[in-house]
Amino acid sequence: MRIFALSSVLIASLAVAQSASAASIYAGHAIAASTCAQCHGVTTPSSGAPFPPLAGRDAEYLKSALKQYRDKTRVSDIMNNIAGSLSDNDIDNVAAYYSKLKP
Amino acid sequence: MKNTKKLLSQSVIAGLTALVLPLAVQAKSDDNMHQLYQDNCASCHGADHGGYLAPALNADTLKGRSPTALRSLIMTGSFDTLMPPFYGRLTDDQIRGLVSHLQKTPKLDNPAWTIDDIKSSLKVYVKDESTLPDKPTYEINSMDDVIGVAARGKYGRGEGSKAVFINSTTHKQIGEVPTVTAAHIIDYNPANPRWAYVKTDTAEIYKIDLYSMKAVRSVKTGFNGPGMGVSRDGKYIMAGSFVPHNAVILDADTLEPLKTFELEGVDPDGKMVTSDSGMVIGTPYDDIFAIALENAGQVWVVDLKKDQDFPVTKITDVGRHLHDAFLTHNGRKLMIASYDDSIVAAIDLKDRKIIKKLEAGCVPHVGGGSAVKVDGRTLGFGTNFGDCDKTVVSVWDLDTMEVVKQIPVSGGTESPAAHANAPYVAVDIISKDRRARTVQLIDKKTLEVVKTLDVGGHAYFPEYSADGKFLYVSAGYSGDEVVVYDSNSLKKVASVRMESPAGIFSHGRVKYMTRGLSPDEMEGAK
Repeated sequence: MRIFALSSVLIASLAVAQSASAASIYAGHAIAASTCAQCHGVTTPSSGAPFPPLAGRDAEYLKSALKQYRDKTRVSDIMNNIAGSLSDNDIDNVAAYYSKLKP
Repeated sequence: MKNTKKLLSQSVIAGLTALVLPLAVQAKSDDNMHQLYQDNCASCHGADHGGYLAPALNADTLKGRSPTALRSLIMTGSFDTLMPPFYGRLTDDQIRGLVSHLQKTPKLDNPAWTIDDIKSSLKVYVKDESTLPDKPTYEINSMDDVIGVAARGKYGRGEGSKAVFINSTTHKQIGEVPTVTAAHIIDYNPANPRWAYVKTDTAEIYKIDLYSMKAVRSVKTGFNGPGMGVSRDGKYIMAGSFVPHNAVILDADTLEPLKTFELEGVDPDGKMVTSDSGMVIGTPYDDIFAIALENAGQVWVVDLKKDQDFPVTKITDVGRHLHDAFLTHNGRKLMIASYDDSIVAAIDLKDRKIIKKLEAGCVPHVGGGSAVKVDGRTLGFGTNFGDCDKTVVSVWDLDTMEVVKQIPVSGGTESPAAHANAPYVAVDIISKDRRARTVQLIDKKTLEVVKTLDVGGHAYFPEYSADGKFLYVSAGYSGDEVVVYDSNSLKKVASVRMESPAGIFSHGRVKYMTRGLSPDEMEGAK
């Protein structure tokens, strides 16, 4: 898992180096798989899970929700912790990934 | 108003009872927690708290563990395992209650599950089988092209838990059958291509009509345990359990139980033990079942003679903690893995004795096993969990029963896939880090790893399509798809989405007995 996290950081930083503004869905996929998928699924959450699906959601909405969770203006035990570990870049990438995914 | 009063008086009574009878109330809460455990945890952690796919959860194993850490583990699940997050599914009070219940509950005695229990668990979904269609209701050239996938569902139960069937020439789903709890093993009737049998984590067996993709009947054979086999004439099924320690022969047509067997015997160290059931296998070689007694280290050969009450020949001292096996030489020889002494024992099912014990890496788990013919030799491939420094796949010459090579691979392995027409033997790397995403390919001729595929998720249970043209791999939990590769170019050609796919079972297996052998191998057996 550590190697995985490290490689996702590498991919993310490479992506940033190439183009400072464009979000990378590849880096986003890595974050989704390592951080979000346990509950939300890498594509969809379990049919038996109480977690909302993220695929195809508006990227701007996902970004603002994650930032609110991160600065705790939106309160959730679990999401405050998880979003707290994400950088602005991570948030851009993971929002790009899920928003481009077909629901 | 009336209601409020009633509620009020009830709560007063409840309050008084709590004061007067704290023990009774405590017992009630334990009952609730016990039920909560059975409904949410037991299918993986064991109805007896003794563990199954997942660790044992009881006073002993959880001694000294921080309740807070256990609570957060239940809430968030565990990333590198099948353990799902229960946040939102269970309330915080329920999770706290479960933790305290588990930390004071000892491992329970084996609950009884008798032939009468099995009989009364029989459910009939299609009363008159003559109403079923007489050919597949979907486009397919040969029923051998059907591939079944045990989709676990994230929670090991519920809507995501089903057997999913795919046409392995088009990679399109052709049907699915819900199984309530996670599907674990899929077997096919060798005598009639329309019947499949699915065993779940909680030991129900479903008889499935592949033509209409419907469950016809089901029966609960125990509480858990993966063992299931079908006889070569398609008339009998044998199933074995971890909980309780028994096995049962069923009529494959009606699923009615015919005889149960108490699994006990003297282990290789001279101790009398009752035993989990390991693999159960039917063979094209004879009208028999072979069943492994895991803890007793014995293999029993059961003759399918109903009039003689299914007599048993016991082969003892096979190994310590037996598990799974595969067949070779027209089904006359059985190669069975023994976890604790890291050997695979070759057994002659005709003479009913051990031929030889072969080195097999660390904690061998051969899965469905593989055997391939190369340059006149029949080579068997054995995977192993590799819980030591040495991570190898063992290759044996199955004619001479010698170790040919131990091929270094990148981690522990669980299941090898091979096909007579495909150039590579695929093994799933299960080591719990980034390697778990991968499958390694071994060249049949050079016996070297030539390629590593990054499948994603927790990739496991590779399986070739019946024609050998495609390699199917479960991306498993956190992958939620089955990925299909071209067997020669190893290019990804398709993906089939489903929740937490695990074992993949080609209908072709009934034709070639052991994966990798040509159907011609079977001719001598008939």
